Amino acid sequence: MGKQLVEFDSVTKVFPVRANRGRESLIAVQNVSFKLDEGEIVVLLGPSGCGKSTVLRLAAGLDFPTEGRVLYEGTPVTGPSRERGMVFQQYSSFPWLTVRENVKFGLKYRDDLDPKEWDGVIEHFLSLVGLSEFSGRFVSELSGGMQQRLAIARTLAANPGVLLMDEPFGSLDAQNREFLQLQLLQAQANSGKSVLFVSHDVEEAIFLADRVIVLSARPGTVRRNVTPCLPKPRDLEVKTTPRFMEVKHDLLYEVRKEAERQVSFPTNIRAVGEKFRDEHKFSARRHKRTAG
Amino acid sequence: MIRKFFAFRYPLGRRSYFSLSAASFLLLLLLWSVLSYGRIVDPFFVPAPTTVMKTLVRLLLHENLLADVWASVFRVLVAFGLSAVLAIPLGILMSAFRPFEAMAEPPIDFVRYLPVPALVPLTILWVGIGEGSKILLLFIGTFFQLVLLVMDDANNVPQQYFETAYTLGADTKDVIARVLLLATLPNVYDDLRVTLGWCWTYLLIAEIVAARTGIGHLIQEAQRFAKPEVVMAGVLVIGLIGLVSDYCFKLGSKLLFPYKYPASPWANNS
Repeated sequence: MGKQLVEFDSVTKVFPVRANRGRESLIAVQNVSFKLDEGEIVVLLGPSGCGKSTVLRLAAGLDFPTEGRVLYEGTPVTGPSRERGMVFQQYSSFPWLTVRENVKFGLKYRDDLDPKEWDGVIEHFLSLVGLSEFSGRFVSELSGGMQQRLAIARTLAANPGVLLMDEPFGSLDAQNREFLQLQLLQAQANSGKSVLFVSHDVEEAIFLADRVIVLSARPGTVRRNVTPCLPKPRDLEVKTTPRFMEVKHDLLYEVRKEAERQVSFPTNIRAVGEKFRDEHKFSARRHKRTAG
Repeated sequence: MIRKFFAFRYPLGRRSYFSLSAASFLLLLLLWSVLSYGRIVDPFFVPAPTTVMKTLVRLLLHENLLADVWASVFRVLVAFGLSAVLAIPLGILMSAFRPFEAMAEPPIDFVRYLPVPALVPLTILWVGIGEGSKILLLFIGTFFQLVLLVMDDANNVPQQYFETAYTLGADTKDVIARVLLLATLPNVYDDLRVTLGWCWTYLLIAEIVAARTGIGHLIQEAQRFAKPEVVMAGVLVIGLIGLVSDYCFKLGSKLLFPYKYPASPWANNS
């Protein structure tokens, strides 16, 4: 593996929230440290709501750590940049532009590219994700899977140093998801890009990853750092190999444990309910009187 | 057949759509005819369609109706154009930069709630009884509403569009010009369509006071001399202008924002 690209150094992120008429804070991630090397695919795996997306947003520079440091190529991240391309779960392409124009959007910001070369670059990345024949369509005329492929093409075309992907296939059906996972692996192998990928799906994580980082339930902390060591290039057959099953078994246990911790807050809900009832006692009584 | 037409959001064909629209007009005309020719209502209150038509022709040929129409359209176009040209950038800026919002929203809200007719004496005092006062009044009635509508639309653009643009390398200037503005425009366009209607309402108020031309003036004069058929002719003309401008807006929307009218099997899951 190449040089170190992204580094999280004891990162904690706290969000202020308004609740129960007071200011409270929510610790999204706590003391997270990990590294991403050049050319590596790292998948952040964890139950929903564990702060995976927060980690990704911190890496992108769309949010800033409360404590600790987020480094890119050794320097602290001070804001979003073309170096760290992001693919969101949805709303990922501009509906007022055609497929082609969406890919073209970011080329303006590449100083290594002459405008004369744009056409070739657009065509290259559209064919990479199999969208060449749809280049004139608007986003609203694409299926969900095609929209995500477009988002990947658009982000790759901007030539970022690292690709940040926030459950990009989460809203797709199983077949489409597998297909796109394969395409992503292929595109990554061709381009040698580093990828930081967020997922709650154990199988997806193992299939894509060079390394899987398991995050705990909120506040998210690094639970495990697993290297599945599956051969590359991969096809879907790999999912039936004993090694895959072994890692899957291991990680499923870990993620389920965290997911259970995550949902074990009904005590909290009861407390909120009681508070609500106390606060509204007066009006409830009044209601009864007018009704009777 | 009928049942099929009333399936939820059944896509009507062009011809059926047009026929139904025409039918609704004819139905109104029929109701009007029955009321007036049938002498159910005193013809002084509701003049017959033929009387109104004759009046309309007379106004057109002998009393220079077109000059009045042009005077009104001109005032609306200038005031409305001015409002749009100023309100769109200001609304966008207010959405992009909070200090703009903090500074501009309170005064805008203050003016927005003032009843426009109450300002007539002031506008006359400030810019005289000429074109200026009318245009100013329309402008006040439209601009302050429009700014806030634009800001709201801009605020409703999904955050992820901006974040996508930033991570592709765009700077704030480009995020505003290439994303915020373009994402807001289709909704602003709809706002324009709505506020144009308001602008016509204020026009009548503006023209009732100290105007020598315009449809509002025509109607006001007809009221003074008790000519209900002229009032109705004037109202018909305004309605017609509204119908035409609305149609133009619809047509323009398809030309300017083709992506809102996708033609594919996935049209619904955008």
